[in-house]
Amino acid sequence: MTSTETPAGAGLAARNPAPVRRHKYSRAERKLRRTGWLMITPALLHLALWTAIPVVATFALGFTNYNVFSPPQWVGLQNYVEIVQDPVFRKATWNTIVYTFWTVPVSMAIALVIAVALNQGLRFQKWYRTAFFLPQVTATVAIAMVWLWIFNPQQGLLNAFLGLFGIPGQAWLADPDWALWSVILVGAWQGIGIKMLIYIAALQNIDGSLYEAASVDGASTVRKFFAITVPMLKPATFFVLVISIINAFQVFDQIYVLTNGGPANATTMMTYEVYRSAFEEFRMGMASAQSVVLFIFLLFMTLVGRRATREDH
Amino acid sequence: MALLNPRTSTSPSATRTVRTTNQSSVRRRNKLILHLLLIIGSVTMVIPFVWMLFTSVKSPAELAQFPPTFFPQEWHWSNYAEALDAAPFDKYFRNSLIIATGHTLITLVIGSMAGYALARIRFRGREIIFLSMVAMLMIPTYTKIVPQFLIVKFMPLFGGNDITGQGGSGWLDSWWALLIPGGLSAMSIFLFRQFYLTLPKELEEAARLDGLGEFRIFAQIYTPLMKPAVATVALLTFQESWNNFLWPLLVTTSDDLRVIQVGLAVFQQVEATAWQYLMAGTTLATVPMVLLFVMAQKYFIQGFTNSGIK
Repeated sequence: MTSTETPAGAGLAARNPAPVRRHKYSRAERKLRRTGWLMITPALLHLALWTAIPVVATFALGFTNYNVFSPPQWVGLQNYVEIVQDPVFRKATWNTIVYTFWTVPVSMAIALVIAVALNQGLRFQKWYRTAFFLPQVTATVAIAMVWLWIFNPQQGLLNAFLGLFGIPGQAWLADPDWALWSVILVGAWQGIGIKMLIYIAALQNIDGSLYEAASVDGASTVRKFFAITVPMLKPATFFVLVISIINAFQVFDQIYVLTNGGPANATTMMTYEVYRSAFEEFRMGMASAQSVVLFIFLLFMTLVGRRATREDH
Repeated sequence: MALLNPRTSTSPSATRTVRTTNQSSVRRRNKLILHLLLIIGSVTMVIPFVWMLFTSVKSPAELAQFPPTFFPQEWHWSNYAEALDAAPFDKYFRNSLIIATGHTLITLVIGSMAGYALARIRFRGREIIFLSMVAMLMIPTYTKIVPQFLIVKFMPLFGGNDITGQGGSGWLDSWWALLIPGGLSAMSIFLFRQFYLTLPKELEEAARLDGLGEFRIFAQIYTPLMKPAVATVALLTFQESWNNFLWPLLVTTSDDLRVIQVGLAVFQQVEATAWQYLMAGTTLATVPMVLLFVMAQKYFIQGFTNSGIK
């Protein structure tokens, strides 16, 4: 995993094999090791308290009933049984999958096309890049607030725009048939930037001579795209896929602002159910169990993603 | 570059010249199509921001019109002053700024030290620590959030809690809860490690021979060499902190500690119809990030390119 480094000062020791020097060297190395630990300890303590312990605690709390005010009670698998039977959580799981299924591949495909277009040395490409990345750097809550206004059935921009073409407007977020699609639109729109950036970085690493060789052989632009660009981008694609799935599964802010999970649970997500259980119903055990389910889904998706894009060795 | 630029070497033969002209006109057409595509895309990305800005200066009467106007008929910049009267967005803004700056400083100091140690110092347990850090990268926020909340609530000896963490509210509704738990992420340490790995070994060997302490090698030799990387991590941390919503929502209740994202959400729930004020607040929440990105774009993108995504 890490690089293979020789011990610090090994060259020195090799050049001076005398016992006195060696003694000095090993003291220096002990000191170095101590410094290493010293430098990493603050970070380790922080990660232990705010990441490692919470993760273990989440798994443990998942087997309990706990409302914060009285001590946790061990209930075994009861929470998980309830999760499986709960139609709302099942709906939330399905919504999360649908949301991920549409936002991730759609914005990945768009991001790839844009990245290739922005890799042609066009004029103004810096401006284009800024525009595409803008939604990514701004807060999801603020973005969602703007979209809430855009989706407004009477005064919103979207219905006014559709009206120009004679297309009847919708009550986007209030309509159970449209609400999830509206949320997906916002997610896909916001997610393009980061994927595009990673693709641009990866494209710049592709050896230009590959394209030249293909041109000499008379390959068309489209052919070159599928025969060179796409395969060469496989590692980047895996990276983008994994972080996008992880992000999409954790969609929360725009749900909170846009729909509160409604109408009639049409847009509730796994994360939103975790939030509801923990901080509206104070069922910490149930919330933990739900977040364990979310975690297992993520782990599974990551492994599938790794398999799908693994490089052939 | 290469994709749409077939070799166009000038050639003495007449037929070749004709083909080259043909190709260059095709190329021009392709470029035009690309520009068109990119313009449509860019406009789609930017329009919501323009709409936000325009809405924030419209009068209530104009906002009530049907069909809605796109360009404001009159620019009521006073909306911003009125929005500040309706909700203390300036205070929210200040709180967000303090927290984002605090998170960035903590990350830069603690995260860079840890990243350096992981990349350049061999010590026992390093591999295990690195692997567990990679595992932590995979942990979603929601698999930690409930216990994190409980740790904050039961923090011993704070907020009226006794030594066992009972009896009070701990760090809830305090700066501690806003500043400490989010101050460091496994991701930033990972990025720092990747950056420090890219620097040449000879430097540290020479420095160690000169008898320089490891701390000085870290602080005075290596870190100044990777200013763009430091800028990248700082930028990412600042942005994530400024945009964070769930955690401040959970751990704060008083208006004095509200960050701007939470302030916006609360304002929207209370005054659902005052769109001009809401959009003024949203503009305030958006502008710092947009400015920061536009100004520091070079570092941002350079850093992404160098962060070992290969």
